[in-house]
This record gives sequence, C-alpha cells and structure tokens, in this order.
Amino acid sequence: MKMLLKLAFRNVFRYRRRTIITFSAISYGLGLMALGICLYNGVNTHAMDSIIDNQTAHLKILAPGYFEEKNEVPLEFTIDEPQKIKSLLKDNQDIQGIESRILFQCSIISGMDELPCLGVAIEPEVDPLVFKIKDSITDGRFLESSEPKIILGSSLARDLGLQVGDDIVLRMFLSTEDFIWNALDMEITGIAKTENPTVNRQTVFIPLSLAQEALSLDNRVTELAIRIEDRNQLLDVRNFIQSRLATLDTDYELVSFKDYASDFVELMKMRSRIQVLIPLMMILIASLGIVNTMLMAVLERTREIGMLAAMGMRKMEVMLVFVFEGAIIGLFGSLAACVLGGLGGWYLETKGFSMAFMGKEITDKLLSFLPMEVFYGDLTAGTLLFTLALGIVVSILASLYPAYKAVKLDPIQALRHVG
Amino acid sequence: MPIAQLENIHKVYHIGKIDFPALRGISFSIEEGEFLSIAGPSGSGKTTVLNLLGCLDKPSRGKIFLEDRDITALPTSKLADVRRRNIGFVFQTFNLIPVLTAMENVEFPLILEGTHDSKERRRFVEEILTEVGLKDFIHRRPNEMSGGQQQRVAVARALVKKPKLVLADEPTANLDSVTGQEILQIMLELNQKTSTTFVFSTHDKMVMDFARRIIRLRDGKIESDQKVNPK
Repeated sequence: MKMLLKLAFRNVFRYRRRTIITFSAISYGLGLMALGICLYNGVNTHAMDSIIDNQTAHLKILAPGYFEEKNEVPLEFTIDEPQKIKSLLKDNQDIQGIESRILFQCSIISGMDELPCLGVAIEPEVDPLVFKIKDSITDGRFLESSEPKIILGSSLARDLGLQVGDDIVLRMFLSTEDFIWNALDMEITGIAKTENPTVNRQTVFIPLSLAQEALSLDNRVTELAIRIEDRNQLLDVRNFIQSRLATLDTDYELVSFKDYASDFVELMKMRSRIQVLIPLMMILIASLGIVNTMLMAVLERTREIGMLAAMGMRKMEVMLVFVFEGAIIGLFGSLAACVLGGLGGWYLETKGFSMAFMGKEITDKLLSFLPMEVFYGDLTAGTLLFTLALGIVVSILASLYPAYKAVKLDPIQALRHVG
Repeated sequence: MPIAQLENIHKVYHIGKIDFPALRGISFSIEEGEFLSIAGPSGSGKTTVLNLLGCLDKPSRGKIFLEDRDITALPTSKLADVRRRNIGFVFQTFNLIPVLTAMENVEFPLILEGTHDSKERRRFVEEILTEVGLKDFIHRRPNEMSGGQQQRVAVARALVKKPKLVLADEPTANLDSVTGQEILQIMLELNQKTSTTFVFSTHDKMVMDFARRIIRLRDGKIESDQKVNPK
C-alpha cells in the first residue's frame, strides 16, 4: 500500500502543468463554493438577527385578527390587559424582556414636506431589553418615558433633511378608513441607524404613553414583543406562553419571528435550493478536471500499465494507484480551496460585502426585500471540513472511471502500445 | 523435471473477421538453467510463445505446464499471481517506472511479492544492482540513465525475486551492438551463477550466438530445435 501511495504521489507530479490546471480548477471551484456557503450562512444568521433585533423580537402576542391585517397596522385589534399578561409571564427565566408597543400609521410633516411612515410607540425603559434600537442611535440620545420627543430612522431623517433638535409635526392616523388623525408637535431627540434598512427608511419611535393618549387607546397596546435568552428555547417558551394565555378569558395570537418574516424565510428556502446547485456545479467542474487528467494519464501510461500487469500487479492494485492519484490531487486542491475559502470567509466575516457597487437603483430594489445593506459571512469549521471532504470524495469518485479503463487494458496490447 | 512444457500449442488471433493462426501446434520443454533463444523472422510466433510462457495470454488449444502445474487451466486472476512469483520480464523498451529510482524499480517486484521485509529487500536490490554493474546508479531515475543502464536495471528487476523463468522479448533491439553484447553477457553470467532459466526472443544473429539452445520458428511452427556449444 505504501508503495502504491508513493507511486501515485510521484505520478501526480509527473505531469506538472496538467496537475496544476486540475488542482487550480478544484481549488478555485471549491474555494468559491466555501465562500458561497460562508456568505449564505452569514446572510441567514445576520439577516434574521437584524429582523429580530429591530422589528419582530422573538415572539409577539397579538389580538386575534391582527396578524392577518398586520400590513395595515390596524388599531382596531388591541390587547386590553398588557400588564396582566406581563405579570403572568414574568416568572419565566428564559424571557429576557416583554415590551408593550403600538404600531401605527403616521406621517412626518416638516415645513412643506410630508412623508408617510410607520410609527412605533415603545416603552423606553423596557425597549433595550427586547430590541436594539438604543444601540443604533448614531446621533442624539434614546427616548425617555412620556417626553414629547421622537427618534427617526437615519434614511428618513436624511430624506427630510432633519437632524437632532429639529421640530416636526407627527400626524398619527387613528383610523385609516375614515382618515381620522391627531397631530403632535415633537422634537427629534435621536437618529437611529439600525442594520435593517427598512427600519431606517420608514420608521419613527415615540414613547408609548404619548401614543396611547394621542391615539385614544388608554392602556391598550397593539402588541407585546418578547425577547428570549436563547433562540433555541423558542419552542419551550412558546409553549409556556401559550399555556399561560390559555388561562385568560380573552383569546390571543402568539406568533414568532418566523411567522412575521415569512417572506424572508421563503427567500431563504429558495436560496437554499440555489445553494445546492452551487456545490453541484463545482463538483461537476472538479470531476471533469480529474476525469480528463486521469484519462490522459491512462492513455500516456498504457505501456507502463501493461508492464505493471506483466509483473503480476493485481487489477485492484493498478486501480488503486489511479484512485490514489485522484485523491491526492483532490486533497491538495481541497486544502488550497479551504485556504482560499478561509481567507475570503474571514474577509466577509470582518469587513462584509456591500451591495453598493451595484448602483443605487439595484441596491434599492434589493433592499425592498433584504433586511440588510452589508452582508457579513459566517465562516465555520464545518464549512471548511465539508469543502475538504467533498473535494476528496469527488476526486476519488471521478478517478474511478479512468482507473477502471486502466485495469480493463489487455496487458499484451498495452505493452505494444506506442505512446 | 522440465521447468516449462508446451504441448501441442495453437494460438489463433481473431482480427476483425479474419482468424490469424500465430502458432500451429508447437511442443517443447525447457529445463532448469537453460539459456534459450526463440528465433525467427517477424510474424513467426516468437512473441506469442513468450506471452504464453509468461502467463500473459492463453493458448487457443494445447497445454502449458510451469513445473508440473497446468497454467492453461488457471483463471486470469491467478495468472497474475504466477507472474508475480515465478516469472521475470525484460522488455525491448526497458519499461522502467519513470518516477522511481533504479533502486525502487528493482525493489518493486519484491514489494509486490510481499515476502521480504524492507531491510532484506534493500540487501537483495543492492546485491543485484552490483551484479549488473550499477552500484553507483541506484538513486538515479530512468531518464538520468543511458539505454544500456536502463536495460541493466530491467535485468536486475527481472532477477531480484529469484524467479524460475526470465523472459526477455528482444532485449537488445533498442541498444547498440556493444551495449547489447554487454547486456547479454550479464544475462549469461547470471544464468550461470544462479541457474535461472532465460528464454529470449530474437532475430539478431549476435544474440543467438549467446544462446545455448535455439528454437527456430517459422509460420507458427518449430523449424528447428538445436543445442549449441558456446563460442
């Protein structure tokens, strides 16, 4: 076996140029595949995090019927007893925070300009436990309870030419059908630039008590947003909340971030189907390279194969020499792919991949359904190990056919072969 | 007991729809230690006889015995084992493994045989390479050696496992006459020293002069079988 390996190893470097070409095909192909997986995983994780951190939290308790109409942000479906529900759930250690919120339709009036946007009324002291809006304040400060101040998404502020300290009028719609509205004079206290471009472009935040008064909702809210310690405990916490809600007289809906971000989850599923295609294409490229190289080797070494057979080398041993050669090319190619993928993955993980180079028009279109502007990779040892294993396995499989051709040669004919 | 025996051997090659009879009922036996030349013009059947003796091919009719074993009854997979243990080959075009050194090329059949440890193998290889005059070339690869040196390595490779039979198909055809004579001299000396049986095919008069027995073939039949005294 050792001799067969030695023979295979030296044969690999016998035709250096061809080996380098095959080696490069494998390393570039699989390296790109590793990079693709890294980016895909990163987008998956970061995008979902971005949705959770800025829009949906992990779970939301809603009044029945609200979820179906959620795009209209209706005020007709409200939770009448938010404090009671909060106290029902407070003994669960896995829950990090529960925030009462109201989502409402509004518009910002600044001078002659008016822009429609999404209003989010928050509990300033609880919000940092559930969302990351406070961490994304780039200018000014976060809200304090019941002050008539407002936080604007960064893109919204930019589009209206507003900054911290400016006064605006917030027109809040009590009913979308009857166009009943209330207006509040407010001062901008902070600008939020979250990872989520949707939030930056169209969202404003005001204190909950102010909204309840302006929207005539008394103590009612439209949702209770819940953050849990560990996303893996989602099912357990969900069951817990469900069981506690069942003790109340009123029915409530409990939805997770997955339900909320169903469009994005669908997109992820579609991407995961595409993701299967990428390795398949890479496998095809690598296989063709190996098959071509090994078939050429069989052709060029026909007489040598005949001689090996004449010396009494068994068919399996001849076959092994060629399979080992394929495996060696695969091993080195895959190792190089891991280095390439690793370096690229490290870059994506630390610096990210911005879509800005595609131009504003395309970027804006993409941002209408992608919850982030800069994609960060997520490089894992598993991705690199998968790349390594795939390269070796594919190379071995691809060298089986040429190896079979080698052992099918008649020794006498092979010895007569003029190469 | 003869080391090899051919009984009424026929060999027909099927080329397309045409049957080409290469051997038409030849019989002879080879005793241990012989230095035998199979001679004859092109197409007379020399190489076919060597292929059959070397277990690389099977006759269409007739029986071949190596010692007392009927090898014509063996399946192809077993023939590889017979070759591995009992037969050494020297080819016209040397056919060394280009990526291995002289030493590794000679060691290769011993590794395939699998009966010696590495220390023993190294000793055998050094001994035989010294015998063929290549003691100082053991770490050279084939492309770093002359044709004559390569053929000496090939002779060493054929003999290192101490086979019962060494088959050489026109071993000097690719060498100049002086180098060819040197190779034949080495083969003859090893034949005398180790009593290894050599069978080689040739149509070269100079090669035949080294033989102790010459079987002449013509059109697939034995034309003559004569013992000759060394000159």
